[in-house]
Amino acid sequence: MEDREIITPDRIWKPSEALSPRVRRLREEYFSPEKRPYFRNEVMPFTTGTPWDEVFSPINWGVVPEMYPFMEAYRESLKVLARRVDLPDGFWEKSLVLRRALFFREVCRRYLPVRILEGELVVGGHFNTALSKCHNRKEARAWRRAVRKWWRKAQEINQLGLGNAGAIPGHIIPDYPRVLREGFSGIYRDLQQRMERAGDEEKRQFYQALMVCCEAARDLAHRYAEEAGRLAKEEADPVRAEELKEISRICRKVPWEPAETFHEAVQSLWFTHMLVMAAESYPGAGLSHGRFDQYMYPYYRGDLEEGRLDRERAKEILRCFWIKHNYAYDYQSRVLTNQGINSGFGQLMTLGGTGPLGEDASNELTWLILEVIEEMNMLEPKPNVRLHAGTPEELLRRVAGMIARAQGSPFLLNFDENAIRGLAWQGLPRERLWDYAPVGCLENTLQGDDRSGTVDVNVNLAKAVELTFFSGRDQLTGKKIGPNTPPVEKIATWDEFRDAFRAQLLAVLDRVIEVSDAADAIRSRFEPTPYLSAIVGGCAEKARDVTAGGPRFNYITVEGIAFATAADSLTAVKKLVYEEGRVRMADLKKALEDNFEGHESLRLTLVHKAPKYGNDDDYADEVAAWLHRLWTTDVIRRVSPATGRRYRSGYLSWNYWIAYAPSTAATPDGRRRGTFLSNAICPVDGAARNGPTAVTLSVGKLGLETAPNGASHTISFSPSMLRDAEHVEKLMAFLRAYGEKGGTALQVNVIDAETLKEAQRRPEEYRNLLVRVTGYNAYFVMLGKEIQDEIIARESHGL
Amino acid sequence: MAFEGSRGESSPGEDSVQGIVFNVQRYSTEDGPGIRTTVFLKGCPMSCPWCHNPEGMDPRPELVWYEARCVGVRECLRVCPREALTLTPEGMVIARDRCDACGACVEACPAAALEVIGRKVSAILLAEEAARDETFFRRSGGGVTLSGGEPALQAAFCLALMEILAKKRIPVALDTCGGVAWSKLEPLARRADLVLYDLKVMDEAKHREYTGVSLSLVLDNAVRIAELGVPMWVRTPVIPGYTEDVENIRAVARFIRENLPTVERFDLLAFNNTCRDKYRRLDRIFPLAGQGLLERTKMEALVEAARQEGVESVCWSGAVAGK
Repeated sequence: MEDREIITPDRIWKPSEALSPRVRRLREEYFSPEKRPYFRNEVMPFTTGTPWDEVFSPINWGVVPEMYPFMEAYRESLKVLARRVDLPDGFWEKSLVLRRALFFREVCRRYLPVRILEGELVVGGHFNTALSKCHNRKEARAWRRAVRKWWRKAQEINQLGLGNAGAIPGHIIPDYPRVLREGFSGIYRDLQQRMERAGDEEKRQFYQALMVCCEAARDLAHRYAEEAGRLAKEEADPVRAEELKEISRICRKVPWEPAETFHEAVQSLWFTHMLVMAAESYPGAGLSHGRFDQYMYPYYRGDLEEGRLDRERAKEILRCFWIKHNYAYDYQSRVLTNQGINSGFGQLMTLGGTGPLGEDASNELTWLILEVIEEMNMLEPKPNVRLHAGTPEELLRRVAGMIARAQGSPFLLNFDENAIRGLAWQGLPRERLWDYAPVGCLENTLQGDDRSGTVDVNVNLAKAVELTFFSGRDQLTGKKIGPNTPPVEKIATWDEFRDAFRAQLLAVLDRVIEVSDAADAIRSRFEPTPYLSAIVGGCAEKARDVTAGGPRFNYITVEGIAFATAADSLTAVKKLVYEEGRVRMADLKKALEDNFEGHESLRLTLVHKAPKYGNDDDYADEVAAWLHRLWTTDVIRRVSPATGRRYRSGYLSWNYWIAYAPSTAATPDGRRRGTFLSNAICPVDGAARNGPTAVTLSVGKLGLETAPNGASHTISFSPSMLRDAEHVEKLMAFLRAYGEKGGTALQVNVIDAETLKEAQRRPEEYRNLLVRVTGYNAYFVMLGKEIQDEIIARESHGL
Repeated sequence: MAFEGSRGESSPGEDSVQGIVFNVQRYSTEDGPGIRTTVFLKGCPMSCPWCHNPEGMDPRPELVWYEARCVGVRECLRVCPREALTLTPEGMVIARDRCDACGACVEACPAAALEVIGRKVSAILLAEEAARDETFFRRSGGGVTLSGGEPALQAAFCLALMEILAKKRIPVALDTCGGVAWSKLEPLARRADLVLYDLKVMDEAKHREYTGVSLSLVLDNAVRIAELGVPMWVRTPVIPGYTEDVENIRAVARFIRENLPTVERFDLLAFNNTCRDKYRRLDRIFPLAGQGLLERTKMEALVEAARQEGVESVCWSGAVAGK
């Protein structure tokens, strides 16, 4: 009994009425960039002032094809706008990494604006930067040459629809707990000892660079301490004056010294976190907190026991902390809507999960944070709940209840057993796996010492289908871009067809990974980030920068795009051409060539007469599993020569399922050129007709451990399916079963197409409507029309 | 009238009993506890004017045509061995007296514009299909629900199905209208872990008029099932102009309280009118096509009335008018 009831605006998840006036004001202030000319966290470029200086790094944006046309403009205009920084004496005699550190420290000490917003309890606002690469003339020339070469290839693979690759900042969980525990002063002392022991000058300068960055964090915090002190003196309201004095005291202390109270820990964490974004000149994307409820718990507990803090005050501090993260989006506050870019970040925060013995690790703070999430209704930080066999029933009920009420998935749900199986397959040490956490959208890594380069490489798997049909020739440009496999109409058996497909797919991987190798080489040689190196485990021990293989664990992740489109295409060929002989290969080739024009009957046959992935149909799922294994087990054999980082795979596909739709020819699943490709690990839109359990089993059958990054899976439920406690119980059981039989990560949308259409008609009333796009949430009414329509189409199919 | 499960000729034995099933719905959340897979069996002894599964009435497979999908390639007309199809400007005309639902047209249509509702399937294959969500059943306390149509009209098939599922330790619920001979119903009821039992109108004359079946048979069967000690959920469709009046609901509730001690809950199912297209496709007339939805307040009042009669667990579900 389908009951399609529109969710009225009053039932949309929105910020709690109970929020304090302080938080309501801060929240509103964030959402009104036009009303705060006094504070916009927009990109501030800083230069050394040399004529050859660069402040923008195209390789950092290599996976954002919609920026490609503007890449030169960004690079040039930021250079023109850049403020010149007075360089310390002897600057140019230092090594590149030390120059970068000194420059960063100067910016923190004298140039980053310091502003405390009215009422906020956690401070630190301006962090969007475009920092000089600090190259000397020779380095600049070499960098330019290498970037130019990379850029040519990057554009080429993107235009051909093969994919994209870059060296992407963020997407890491730094060792924040260490900063809380030891303070930057502790890290500084450790580095000092290492420096004293180091033999060669290069290493000494490396350690010195990291130490300089520790000082930078201290010095910026002290400027906030000054500012808070100044404001306290001017403040008429005695309560606020006390708060400002306390803020001043805290900023004087952390992040340099170890944090001792909850408020200190939150402030220390925020400074440390925002400075990563400043140091990498990359706002927010994927820079993640890891298991926040675990490492913050001792501070919370301690304060409660000492009577320094009550629950409500802790929440108030957290709410202020929450708003801060959203300022990462300010760099586009004047652009607003675009192809989902306005929300494609993910400062992921992990809750729940297991302890070292597999026991449940959730605590009071977990529950407190869930309240904050529910009350705030904001994009960032993006919460993630780790579920496992031992997740307590009450916690699961709380999480499922929030999902049922919140339309767009309020959480990324991670399934520990499945995620951990992948990380073990990848070869990470087993004794560390219980403590993993995802970054960005859903990419699983270890905490504190693992840079897995998630989203650095994105490969369009469906493109290999096109190349198989045309012996390596791209249909749009006529260019020969793949190996010379036999003319498809001459391929007599399914096995030979598979061989041809394999050859084409591996060539696509070669081509895209070559672009990644080049980006990785450029970054590791020319773009050190010593601040981040200071707080990522392994860099100090190896005396290597985080960009150059310094972290204890180094990988680059290849994300597969259009998986289901490719799988369904292969299935259709196997079934209809080779098994049933219902379709002749020559006719199919001609139909693809003609984009199905004049071949509608054949197109419909492909759509309706071949099984489709996502229906728990063993025939289709077996082909899909073959495809999955084929490319993921090839990827793990590859290594980036410059840094020795090994490649691994995952399924994310951000918005590429739209971007590469026009550059992927018609496919044998009946899709025309331009129709969107499939998203992440999800079935093709409309192809899955057997409901959420069937699609779960299909995903589970793939053997996802060979994609250790994890696989983005979105399922939608209509609101009526979760209308009351009884149905929420069914969702809980569904999630338990998903952990047993499904994939690594799930997002649940509770929405129907009618509500979304209503939101399109009356956007002002649906401002708070969050929907899950792929690995990330977005305010629906802020998305571009094209993506809106795509989401509506997806919900219309009920999956 | 009753359509018995027939034995397949090629593979004799209990497991090869064949049945006619028109849908296997997974993640079914409205037909019993937990997450379920509901098997819809074709054929029903009743003919309620409000029936929202009209494709379950006739025991034989039936051909339907989906206008929106048809692209007019006319392959169907060409392959039909009985010349039962005519494509007119008003749409496809299916000569139901000639069509034997052989499926040749379905196979030939590239656009999936034709479908045979009701497929013949062996108990062993169907049990396999119905058991695929085993993990979800186990996690949720769910299982398989046999519904329809009226499952008891295919008693042998259902019994075979239940036996296989029992071996797999999958709980089975029987969703019955109760309007069949006790001899058919009894073995199924005995095997069921739960019986979903429809009580529609508590007036003999009206019951006969609306459903074509005697109320006393339905009530007798209900009492016998309760005497077997099988847990029951009673369900009453609340239909404007037929079953909606408060006295009827009170009467059902009283009957439950006085005669059916194994009833665990009483569900009131609000009328829905989303089945109009299904009737049209089957060339049947939906007598309630123009009928609007009920008000939420009405459903809440009926729930309250049923509680006043002493039934503790009363729920309502379904579509209602307004927000």
